[in-house]
Amino acid sequence: MPKHKPKRGSPSIDMTAMCDVAFLLLTFFMLTAKAKPQEQVVIDTPSSISETKLPDAGTLTILVGPDGNVFLDMAGQHTRKSLIDDVNSRFQMGLTEEDKVKFSNAGSFGVSRSRLKQYLETEPSQRAKFPSTGIPIDTADVNKSELADWIHNARLAQFRMKQEGKVKDEYVMVVKADKDTPYPAIQKVINTLIDINVNKFNLITDSEADPNKKDAIKGKAEEK
Amino acid sequence: MAEMQTAESGGKKKGGKVRGKKMSTRVDLTPMVDLGFLLITFFMLTTTLAKPQIMPVVMPEKDVDKEDLVETKESQVLTLLLGGGDKVYYYEGITDAKLDSTDYSAEGLRKVILSKKDKVNAQFGEKEIDDPKNPGGKKNISKMNVIIKPTKDAVYKNLVDAFDEMKICNVALYVLLDISKQEEDFIKNPAAGLKFSVDDQVEAQQTK
Repeated sequence: MPKHKPKRGSPSIDMTAMCDVAFLLLTFFMLTAKAKPQEQVVIDTPSSISETKLPDAGTLTILVGPDGNVFLDMAGQHTRKSLIDDVNSRFQMGLTEEDKVKFSNAGSFGVSRSRLKQYLETEPSQRAKFPSTGIPIDTADVNKSELADWIHNARLAQFRMKQEGKVKDEYVMVVKADKDTPYPAIQKVINTLIDINVNKFNLITDSEADPNKKDAIKGKAEEK
Repeated sequence: MAEMQTAESGGKKKGGKVRGKKMSTRVDLTPMVDLGFLLITFFMLTTTLAKPQIMPVVMPEKDVDKEDLVETKESQVLTLLLGGGDKVYYYEGITDAKLDSTDYSAEGLRKVILSKKDKVNAQFGEKEIDDPKNPGGKKNISKMNVIIKPTKDAVYKNLVDAFDEMKICNVALYVLLDISKQEEDFIKNPAAGLKFSVDDQVEAQQTK
């Protein structure tokens, strides 16, 4: 019997097409990816089994650091501009137009109103080093609480923008806290939210396996 | 694999005629494709992970009329006091309550909740309500009420874990409330018993 020798094809394949596809996808993902804005605090969120994803609508995020300092971040430049115009005129903060533009482009902030001007005039790259002490909360009198004022007016600003047609949705309230944040700090934030009639909000969590579902898979495997 | 062929220089100079070297135009694209897919993987993973999970929370309104409050039987209530050091204290009902403690593991808190739930279900049966996810449909929920009260030593993770347990155990009726002075004393000195009444609870909810 003659020995059958398999035909040896060339091991090289034309990679051009594959390369085209790869770079097309690469370009797509790079363009669609959003740059993550710099955050003032490093927050390590606890994990939960919740599988609900954050909706696409604009968010008003209350960040609570591990030491209990409260920071605020809101989406939308128009809203931020409208908000800072309003706050500046009510409290005579003496912000210049330049400061206001900086505010509308900044990410999260955690300073009291009296120091906001100083904060905005810091170079963005240096802001991480700015001694942020959190937004003051007055638990006794909601009308004096800066946090309550910011949140309330940010929501109003977003509502105005919605009526003008610049944004589609009202703010989704989000609380993002570190897993080691002491509860009293969270309690202050939650009570502030209830005081200004925000009874629905969302806690940001990491994902974790649902033990019920794990059992279900295990159960199925055992049935087999 | 490389196909960049380097023409051999030796033995080609013949007869003085210098021929232009014919090089293959094919370039090996494998490393480039590798790099491309590596970057794609990176961007895909970072973009999908950028969208965080959320846990929706609905808090009770602050000024509720006394008439609007729904009465619940004491034996249907389980109160969790979230303590420091990942410890959970719990007691059933209010009158002659016994304080016990456990942790957040599957063998700890989950067992406590599920055994209480079984007890409540066996005694009172389940309640039929309208299914919010399925209009017109009905679903059964346990009549057990869980009250979550974190102490000042608790951390945020404990709260999320407690909410998680509610979801895992299918507890439909639960609420987050502030802890009372009486309950703090109860943790410090369980032997003295809980000096807390239903009226105190209602009062604490309304003055908030």
